[in-house]
Amino acid sequence: MNLSVKIGDLALKNPVMTASGTFGYGEEYAEFVDLSLLGAIVTKGLSLKPREGNPPPRIVETPAGMLNAIGLQNIGVERFIEEKLPFLEQFDVPVIANFFGDSIDEFVGAAERLSRADGIDGLEMNISCPNKQAGWLVFGTDPEVTFEVVSAVRRVTDLTLIVKLSPNVTDIAQMARVAEDAGADAVSLINTVTGMAIDINTRRPKLANVTGGLSGPAIKPIGVRMVWEVFKAVGIPVIGSGGIMSGEDAVEYMLAGAAAVAVGTANFVTPTATTDIITGIRDYMAAHGIGDISTIKGGLLWEREDL
Amino acid sequence: MSRFFQAEVTGNVLLSRTHNILKITPLQPHTMPYPGQFYLLRVSGTLDPLLRRPLSILRWDEDGLEFLIRLKGRGTLLLRNMKPGERIDLLGPLGNGYPEPVDGETPILVAGGVGIASVYPLIERFRPEVRLFYGAVSAGDLYLVDEIRGLTRNLHVSTDDGSMGFRGNAVERLTAYLDGSSVPSPVVYACGPEGMTKSLLGMLRRRGIPGHVSLEERMACGVGACLGCVVETVRGYRRVCKEGPVFDAREIAV
Repeated sequence: MNLSVKIGDLALKNPVMTASGTFGYGEEYAEFVDLSLLGAIVTKGLSLKPREGNPPPRIVETPAGMLNAIGLQNIGVERFIEEKLPFLEQFDVPVIANFFGDSIDEFVGAAERLSRADGIDGLEMNISCPNKQAGWLVFGTDPEVTFEVVSAVRRVTDLTLIVKLSPNVTDIAQMARVAEDAGADAVSLINTVTGMAIDINTRRPKLANVTGGLSGPAIKPIGVRMVWEVFKAVGIPVIGSGGIMSGEDAVEYMLAGAAAVAVGTANFVTPTATTDIITGIRDYMAAHGIGDISTIKGGLLWEREDL
Repeated sequence: MSRFFQAEVTGNVLLSRTHNILKITPLQPHTMPYPGQFYLLRVSGTLDPLLRRPLSILRWDEDGLEFLIRLKGRGTLLLRNMKPGERIDLLGPLGNGYPEPVDGETPILVAGGVGIASVYPLIERFRPEVRLFYGAVSAGDLYLVDEIRGLTRNLHVSTDDGSMGFRGNAVERLTAYLDGSSVPSPVVYACGPEGMTKSLLGMLRRRGIPGHVSLEERMACGVGACLGCVVETVRGYRRVCKEGPVFDAREIAV
């Protein structure tokens, strides 16, 4: 049974990656999961300088999901490289550093620094963050800014470059094409869906940040639809995420066109979610007589020729 | 030994319309807790409600673990309705519990409401003389009082409505106690609602008394990964699940 997939220059032994921000720096879950069994580890989002993040409360449970407004708290690229990366190097698993900035210069600075470090195999850009130079408008919602920031990062790194797309846009296929044109090796989607929850007794927002990102099973149909739209629009691999809790969910994303998947909120519910999902994918392959996982990519059958 | 294990519900005692004690027996090797630590309990096999519920460990032995649960929402309702024989999975013990007192310190325990669950193991640890200040809204909201009387002769009950013990809260009762007696090198161990914690921290600060206080915040992963459960401390945001839930009183921002 062959579960290996390729994302840019990265050879993954299986298509199951961790979703940024849900697996810490890897060490938090090493007690529960043999990290060498994973397709890849995607780190907590990193910025050039450490970030404190948002005031609490930062999370709230919602129907079949949760809202978070962590505020991109992280220890910064330098401390990550010094304190966290050596631990990950013990494992036979590609490390993908997720990073972001609030200006193009910060994106470029972080990408340069991460690319110089030994032990980082790929980069994932989070463009779902606000752009200081453009009145805090989110990078990933403007095609021109997306092209500019991805091109700028592409110029300074030879590592496999993944662009993580925001679902909070009108046309995600367009954003994916822009990322591809700017030199991305792959796109990953979806990031969280912006949402909000109110305590009706106090009339206060349930998150100190008022709005937050919705994740979990509640958003899976949105993710599957967007992966399908993007798969039809670009030639580069698509990494699917959003509410994947089981091997079946992962297969659903792959049928929609995902070459690999990222597991996020499921880690909070079940610390062994990633390896459980790998087992679930194997079970599906065995049950359906599938020898090579890459053969199911985009295997959706549908009738409407006009779509 | 694993901190992620399957268990069977072996008992569920309904204490009142709002509180129950859930007893479980692990079906796999597991790590023993110490006072002040907590577990994340899966409340159902379905995906809604999605997240585990954090609960302080009340009592434990070789055969099982017990949790005191206050009905708060859908998750705790599912835990309240669990029947013996049902399966449940747990993550824990998690976090940093209460540290041992240093030589010469006299422990004083303070519990508000369901905070007694977190403090209870310390009553056993420091029996039979430890001072416990236990407050609740009303007499009907005080739990495990008979068991506690069997563990310490030094229980000071308070209720907001005066229906049992001192009229007022546990911190007011403790303050009056400290004014009227001399305790050599007191150190306070506490868990209670936010209002109680705030007034306790203020009192400890004014009197220069050290303390170890258990805090609560909404939580997802329980292992330090999601950064969802932070509280503000003098050293910046700290995770309740990892650096806490018990913090040095001097470190908590007020």
